[in-house]
Amino acid sequence: MKRIDVQNQPKLSSGRIFQIAVTGVKYRLFRAMVTVAVIVVAMAFLMNILTESLIKRAVADSVREQIEDLHRVDRWIARLSIPQSAEDILTQIAKAEWPSSYGEEISAMSGMSMDALKAMQPQAQEAVQYLRFFENLDYGRLRVLVGPVESTRIFERLQTERGWHQFSTSLADMRTVRLPLPLEQFQAFIEGWDQLDAFIDVVREGQTRAIEQVHEAIGDQPVVEALQDADGAFGQTIRAAGFALDPEEAASLVQEVRRMEQTLLIEGTINIHGVRQAVAAERDILPGDVTMPMIWRMVRSRDRAEWFLGVLQENQVDQGGLTPETLTMIARQRAHARLLAVAEQQTMEAGGGLMNIGTRMTWLAFVSMLVCAVGIANAMLMSVTERFREIATLKCLGALDAFIMTVFLIEAALLGLVGGLGGALAGFILAGTRMAVTFRSLLWQAFPWNEILVAGLLSIGVGMVLAAISAVYPSFRAARLAPMEAMRIE
Amino acid sequence: MTDTPAHMPLSEPEDVVSRRVIIRAVGMQKVYQRGEEITYALRSIDVEVYTGEFIVVMGPSGSGKSTFFNMIGALDSPSKGRVFIDEVDVAQLTAEELAFLRCRKIGYIFQSYNLIQYMTALENVTTPMAFGGVMPDEARKRGMDLLDLVGLSDRWFHRPIEMSGGQQQRVAIARALANQPSILLCDEPTANLDHHTGDEILAILQRLNKERGVTVICATHDHRMMNICDRLMWIRDGNIERIARRDEVEVEVGSIE
Ligand SMILES: Nc1ncnc2c1ncn2[C@@H]1O[C@H](COP(=O)(O)OP(=O)(O)OP(=O)(O)O)[C@@H](O)[C@H]1O
Ligand SMILES: [Mg+2]
Repeated sequence: MKRIDVQNQPKLSSGRIFQIAVTGVKYRLFRAMVTVAVIVVAMAFLMNILTESLIKRAVADSVREQIEDLHRVDRWIARLSIPQSAEDILTQIAKAEWPSSYGEEISAMSGMSMDALKAMQPQAQEAVQYLRFFENLDYGRLRVLVGPVESTRIFERLQTERGWHQFSTSLADMRTVRLPLPLEQFQAFIEGWDQLDAFIDVVREGQTRAIEQVHEAIGDQPVVEALQDADGAFGQTIRAAGFALDPEEAASLVQEVRRMEQTLLIEGTINIHGVRQAVAAERDILPGDVTMPMIWRMVRSRDRAEWFLGVLQENQVDQGGLTPETLTMIARQRAHARLLAVAEQQTMEAGGGLMNIGTRMTWLAFVSMLVCAVGIANAMLMSVTERFREIATLKCLGALDAFIMTVFLIEAALLGLVGGLGGALAGFILAGTRMAVTFRSLLWQAFPWNEILVAGLLSIGVGMVLAAISAVYPSFRAARLAPMEAMRIE
Repeated sequence: MTDTPAHMPLSEPEDVVSRRVIIRAVGMQKVYQRGEEITYALRSIDVEVYTGEFIVVMGPSGSGKSTFFNMIGALDSPSKGRVFIDEVDVAQLTAEELAFLRCRKIGYIFQSYNLIQYMTALENVTTPMAFGGVMPDEARKRGMDLLDLVGLSDRWFHRPIEMSGGQQQRVAIARALANQPSILLCDEPTANLDHHTGDEILAILQRLNKERGVTVICATHDHRMMNICDRLMWIRDGNIERIARRDEVEVEVGSIE
């Protein structure tokens, strides 16, 4: 005769649980395709955003200097023509690292000592923080707080009693607006603004003097032309006026000014009848259809460049010292510069936010993740619900609630893994292709392999976690019911 | 645990000392409610089942047999009343204790088999063993023996969808025997079997009952069962219509003839 003495059911080892879960998954993988597909789509979306943003940021980082170089001549023309704005001065002082060439330049022009400059740095840094704060406000709020002024004018306005009163009372009403530093500190800063303002004036006066000095030296000659001699006498003049111009920079300047002239020269040739006709004959089109981009594309090859220079010679056009090699190089650099321009425009919002992909992108990734979470939760809910009968049977056979939940968790995580892997791959390929088309040669030198790997792992992880979390609730609901109650739900 | 070959007088218990009640239902009721509509699957059931008994439950379709099984097998909770298994109130058991009871002490053969679709016949049979902590190798061996017992050892690797109804039913029977239960609850165990296989299954049930003292409760329309049972129970409209010993019924059958 069998007696019954009731004990506690022992727990299974995690190895056994895993084994049972894997058996189930293997059998059901095909049927779970829909769930996996949802996860793939969701994670591909996330990975696409991440990859695209990471590539944009990496490209932005790698071309920043090249873009700066692109504007080198313009920058120098500006420096040699007008003093800097107060905001620019503050920004550069704030970020200066001593010894700083900028500091030396300012010191040489204004006659202030380096120590005096260094002493201004903390105040300048504070000023920059406030300027950023005002810059990031929307127009309406800015108007309410400080009226129709901007940049450092704001500080001047706040020095008046009325201005400060308006500012402090309006700020108290705005709950979501926070000053970067305490209000008392800002007030102290405003009171001390005169000092900083005077300092800026001294700097600007120094710059004005230096500019005047340079202009006296060149007379009526345009600055661009004068810059052709930046590595010679004109360079000396600039340096004598106090500008920091190292020989390397001077050499590049000279070269670039030359390029600019040569470029202008080539662009002018399209108006010469003989050249137009020669190009048209060569391309087998009408002379009227010849365009400048067409010529630039043509001379990217050395043979064509040589031919083109030959055409110029035949038409007795000055070749400005161009050799086929330099012409080819200029043409290629133009193409590269266009690519850089695209990159500059495409990567404007890079930086900040999650993994430095930009705040807008972080927000987008977050929203997409929410959408994904809902999709995955729905898919998991359905796939667990259709298996309530199985859960009930397992309970009839003596499975513990924890076992059932663990099995479903492992299953969901595995589905998440497969889906996440597929999604990460799909998203990567999609974004990679798109970015390759946009950035072309700029992409490969900057490709952020490591970060993209991290992003891939992140997507897979997110897929697994989302799937697992979505499986917890329905399996918990089913597991804690009496077996036959679970079997009745359908 | 086979203390005494449980062959006892088949009458209602006069001798309380020698007979233990293994399952006791007191005022057991089950109500299904769906919105306004209320179904009484069981109205009020009072019954005592003794250790080592073989009981056959009969009744028309929809009379509440399966519901009765679920209640006394601790698979569902009654709406009213109590169920005692070996004098322990099922409602008082913890989740772990319930799992233990379902795993080792009670074997279920469901009317709809309820096999796990993604498992092979053997895996289905060894799953309760795994839950009971039997090592995989040992479980395989025992599982093959059980499949052999129901005549399916050559099909151990088949999944339920690859098997006929009768074969699935036999896997379900093997699974119910996995942990050598003290109580066997069978909901129409021979419904899908041919005459010959049915006989074999009946022989297995009878042997378990006589040799190992397993308490067998069996819902069936199969009249062969009447020959091997100790008591018969008729359920109609959620009530026990009648309980009788086999000899009493045989007398009636004889008198009719
Ligand atoms: N989930 C449910 N919801 C509502 N009513 C139910 C539910 N399950 C069973 N019933 C009802 O309970 C009654 C008893 O059902 P049960 O399955 O116990 O019958 P049965 O005797 O096993 O019948 P059969 O011989 O056909 O298997 C039936 O009238 C049925 O309609
Ligand atoms: Mg039934």
